[in-house]
Amino acid sequence: MPVAAPAGPRSPEADPATVVVRTRGVVKRWGRTLALAGTDVEIGPGVTGLLGANGSGKTTLLGLLLGLHAPDEGAIEVLGLDPTRAGPEVRARVGYSPEHHSLPPDVKAVDFVRHVGELHGLPRREATGRASDVLWQLGLGEERTRPLGTMSTGQRQRVKLAQAIVHDPVLVLLDEPTEGLDPVQRDDMLALIRRVGSEFGIHVVLSSHVLDEVERVADGAVILHAGRVVGSGSLADLQASSSGGVVVHVVGDPTPLVTGLEERGYAVEVSGDRLFVAGGDEVFDVVRDGLAHVGLPVRRLEPHRRSLEEVFLSSGLVGGQAATEEGYR
Amino acid sequence: MSDAPPPDLAKPSDPAEPRARILDRGYRPYRGPRTGVRGSVVTVWRQSVQRALGIRRSVWAKVLPLAAVGISYVPAIVFIGIVALIPEENLDAGFELPSFGEYFPFIQAAVLLFVSFVSPEILCTDRRTGMLGIYLASPLSRDSYVGSKAAAAFSVISLITIGPPLLMLVAYVLQGVGPDGPAGVAGSFVRILVSGVLLALLYTAVGLGVSSLTDRKAFATAALLLLMVVVSSFIAILVDEAGLPAELQSLSLLTGPFALVELIHGETASIEGLGLPAALVGLGAWTLAGFAVTRVRYQTLQVTR
Repeated sequence: MPVAAPAGPRSPEADPATVVVRTRGVVKRWGRTLALAGTDVEIGPGVTGLLGANGSGKTTLLGLLLGLHAPDEGAIEVLGLDPTRAGPEVRARVGYSPEHHSLPPDVKAVDFVRHVGELHGLPRREATGRASDVLWQLGLGEERTRPLGTMSTGQRQRVKLAQAIVHDPVLVLLDEPTEGLDPVQRDDMLALIRRVGSEFGIHVVLSSHVLDEVERVADGAVILHAGRVVGSGSLADLQASSSGGVVVHVVGDPTPLVTGLEERGYAVEVSGDRLFVAGGDEVFDVVRDGLAHVGLPVRRLEPHRRSLEEVFLSSGLVGGQAATEEGYR
Repeated sequence: MSDAPPPDLAKPSDPAEPRARILDRGYRPYRGPRTGVRGSVVTVWRQSVQRALGIRRSVWAKVLPLAAVGISYVPAIVFIGIVALIPEENLDAGFELPSFGEYFPFIQAAVLLFVSFVSPEILCTDRRTGMLGIYLASPLSRDSYVGSKAAAAFSVISLITIGPPLLMLVAYVLQGVGPDGPAGVAGSFVRILVSGVLLALLYTAVGLGVSSLTDRKAFATAALLLLMVVVSSFIAILVDEAGLPAELQSLSLLTGPFALVELIHGETASIEGLGLPAALVGLGAWTLAGFAVTRVRYQTLQVTR
């Protein structure tokens, strides 16, 4: 059954029943390296991108969500359970696709996927049937009896996705699922992930350092930098941040409007009949009044939707490596 | 083009025949029962046993384990053959069958080879191929993962520590040359089981302990062989040359365990001066050390970072 309208990350006042993942002040250190520095995240249903540069703490966060490590500080909730205390219960309902490409080379894809299905509690007969079904669904029907070592990187990534969803999890965590793929394979993989999130009804947390990927498939995003959350929300909210200004499409000569706005100190970029006016929350009113003043017909007036790259860069983030202990304190 | 007439669509089809086939069932949610942690443990155990024995793998992967298992059964089969083919009076006159306690020195090389192969295959492969991350992302905990791996190694090693003497016992009893009476048979059966279990526990623990320290199977196999040979030689030198107590030889991984088997069967140990308590302490020390190393290693292992 398709999932209900995906919503991506939730605002703090979101209904607790629909929050898939929630962390509060999570701190995790690896020796002197501070991987997560008080991370607060709320992720709702649908496909959510976990964005950040290499070393920003994405994989550490995924490990904590699975209960593979305990946080040094803070609290975590996955599907309403604490993975630190109820790890097996959480992991039975969660699928995970690791970042690495190495898989047992001499094992057939269908045997591998079936084995992971059994690991997650499927009876043997059911696991056998579902392994074949899922591989068919992901476009590996004809290849399912091939040993993993003979498969291409793209096929192995699909097998990793198949093993993550074979047991029909509620939530699937995908760690860099497009790593090593060529552009065509990447497009295919992103389409599959979108399908998993919408058609299969499984919530997806997609870890990636590629902004464009998240922008294409996710309903929301959490942006991590040096172990801290620097932005989170639905994709529309993130991109429509009011600090991004407005875009206005006019009918006719925009020169009088541009002149008026520039006289009031607003920077205006003109591209044909499309104007981008930078500014804060008040710029909507200013542009509306300017349009009325010069009597210029308007076709569309909307918030400037920034790309995630712009959102990321506007946070003043460079690099993204985990902080040192001194840096945190 | 085919000359066959087109199907008569107007003709009613046989109601017994299916009128349509589902070619794509789509993604199906699963709402059935789940086997829980117990199911996870069983599947890891089964997969590990199959892997160690080369089942569902290439021919080359089957050669070493099956050869080692085969070799360990060869003396038992030979002894059974002798009993079956040679008349009892001839046996009494010129040939004495080895006792159950004396069996293991015949297959010492096969045991060492098998033991040094099994644990690395079961444990190192998962870390090398990244399967460990997938296993620990399942309902298994680190302890239940290690437990299922240990159970698999124990099961496979038991094939050669329990199987051959048990086969001999059954064959001897059938041939009428076994222990006297039901009590004698039951006593031998229990002693075979106990000694086989203790040997399997020891080699499982030591094998897992060494294998937990490296991702490479070849390194683990070499390290295990070296450990068994070097430690045993060193202890032998200490006892023979430095005059240390003979009980120290219970820590030898080559001779100590087999001497323990002889003692369990009520025979004189091949190590002079070694008693059952000291032999048990030596075996227990290695077993505890092996399991402790494995547990500490896996509790502190970083799976994702």
